[in-house]
Amino acid sequence: MTLVTVKNLTKKYGSKIVVNNISFDFGYQKCIALIGPNGAGKTTTLRTLAGLLKPTEGTIQFESSTTNQDIRKWIGYLPQYPAFHSWMTGREFLIYSGKLAKLTKEEATKRAAELLEVVNIAKESQDERISRYSGGMKQRLGIAQAIIHKPKLLILDEPVASLDPIGRREVLGLLEKLKQEITILFSTHILNDAEEVSDELLLLHKGQIIESGSLQELRNKYQTTVMALQVEDEIHDYQTIVANLNHVRNTKIERGTLYITSDNVKKVREAILSLADQERWPITSFSIDQASLEDMFMKVVNN
Amino acid sequence: MQWMTLFQKELLENWRNKKWIWVPLVIILLSIMDPLTTYYLPYIIEATGGMPSGVVIEELPEYAPSEVLLMTLSQLSMLGVLVIVLISMGTISGERKSGVSELVLVKPVSYMNYITAKWVSYLLLVWVSLFLGILVSWYYINILFGTLSFGDFVTTFFFYGIWLTFVVSLTIFYNTLFKSSGLVAFFSILSIMVMSMITKIFHHILDWSPNNITEYIIDTISTGEISKDLILTGIITTALSLTLILLSSQFLKRKEMAG
Repeated sequence: MTLVTVKNLTKKYGSKIVVNNISFDFGYQKCIALIGPNGAGKTTTLRTLAGLLKPTEGTIQFESSTTNQDIRKWIGYLPQYPAFHSWMTGREFLIYSGKLAKLTKEEATKRAAELLEVVNIAKESQDERISRYSGGMKQRLGIAQAIIHKPKLLILDEPVASLDPIGRREVLGLLEKLKQEITILFSTHILNDAEEVSDELLLLHKGQIIESGSLQELRNKYQTTVMALQVEDEIHDYQTIVANLNHVRNTKIERGTLYITSDNVKKVREAILSLADQERWPITSFSIDQASLEDMFMKVVNN
Repeated sequence: MQWMTLFQKELLENWRNKKWIWVPLVIILLSIMDPLTTYYLPYIIEATGGMPSGVVIEELPEYAPSEVLLMTLSQLSMLGVLVIVLISMGTISGERKSGVSELVLVKPVSYMNYITAKWVSYLLLVWVSLFLGILVSWYYINILFGTLSFGDFVTTFFFYGIWLTFVVSLTIFYNTLFKSSGLVAFFSILSIMVMSMITKIFHHILDWSPNNITEYIIDTISTGEISKDLILTGIITTALSLTLILLSSQFLKRKEMAG
């Protein structure tokens, strides 16, 4: 069943088109990563979905909502740089957020206490003013305020971009936990993060979705298996031999390693190992690697 | 209730940033400054070394209680209005600029609740401060210059409160138009100045302009009867305030919360 359907969404600022006629949909309990370089239109897309920006054209349908319905009750949102009432304590801010989302005082208080534990805000910091929180704590508090009313969709804009490695790990761990219960749509330009927690990917480039699907689907579609060969001798002598083998598409040398791409890894691997055995090549290393998400992204963009 | 949540947050914020302490103090200070300095002027002149040689003042003028009250209201109309504009200039614009409003308005919050909770919280602060200011001023006028009835105090407080309500509403209105607190303050003060100029130039037509309220309060106190002009000016000023708040809600609704 579909949770969100975006149809022909366009957002313009004056004559500048930031999001250009994009359409996509996704179902329940998924973690979807919106991937793209800086300036691709990720933040604008997320803010439009969250109702903070108005689409220039196109529609966003939430379940079977009509355009007149206030969909904000189903959405939790955390901007890239969340700003809080820093004079409040973490607990006060969560209770305030819960009450704004129409929870009763008792419900909001109970849920705030639960979430402070879930997002791992230390007991002694829970009643401290937010102005004293670190970046990671603020980000986790931001996620807590976004899910306090148990929304169906959690929208996070670059949730880990501004964090140090420890903070980044904590937030990614939290997302991993949350995606069991809630649909998460998050943007990132750090492809490793997307690879780590997302089930589906939307690749955004210059305001347009250039590819979408599950990580596995994209891997299958754009799979580029790269073989890496290192020898004790001069590597350039071997490049010519390997390049002439059947099914070898491309070869290149980088820092003493010969990288080979092929449309039939199995046959090329067998051919190289057979040659190496017959000719007694002084091989020091031979490995086969899957292309990273980054390689795939570059390939899609170049296509 | 969502409105109460927003209202309580505003009260708590104004308490924690000490507005509930310094705003009443400033208004009290402004309110008693003229009654005290006017009364003690001969002593002040004497204590500071007297008048320059050659200057002779036979007798300092004596003021009627209503004239001293007018001085208090004039003081409030200048510095008091400035203080009110300054305390409320960032209430929405500041939240929009910092991004806090993104976290608030992405929740199912009614724009009307958001605006009116702020409006009422500032009105409460301003009315309480004004009450204390006028009360202290009334007390000193009674002791130092002669009797002003309790009814005069209530009339002054109530109708001048309506004028300050208009000032708060105007500032809230500009808060929804601009993200810069400086621009909010500038346009709020400019509007009050322009209104004052227009009222002076077209005094014969603009009988019930909000800027006339001080004049009608003093007339009422001098004559002892609440004039029809004061009541109508009060009604017009209240109506304008409510219109500004309705417009603010509409403008904010149409605005995109993210830049």
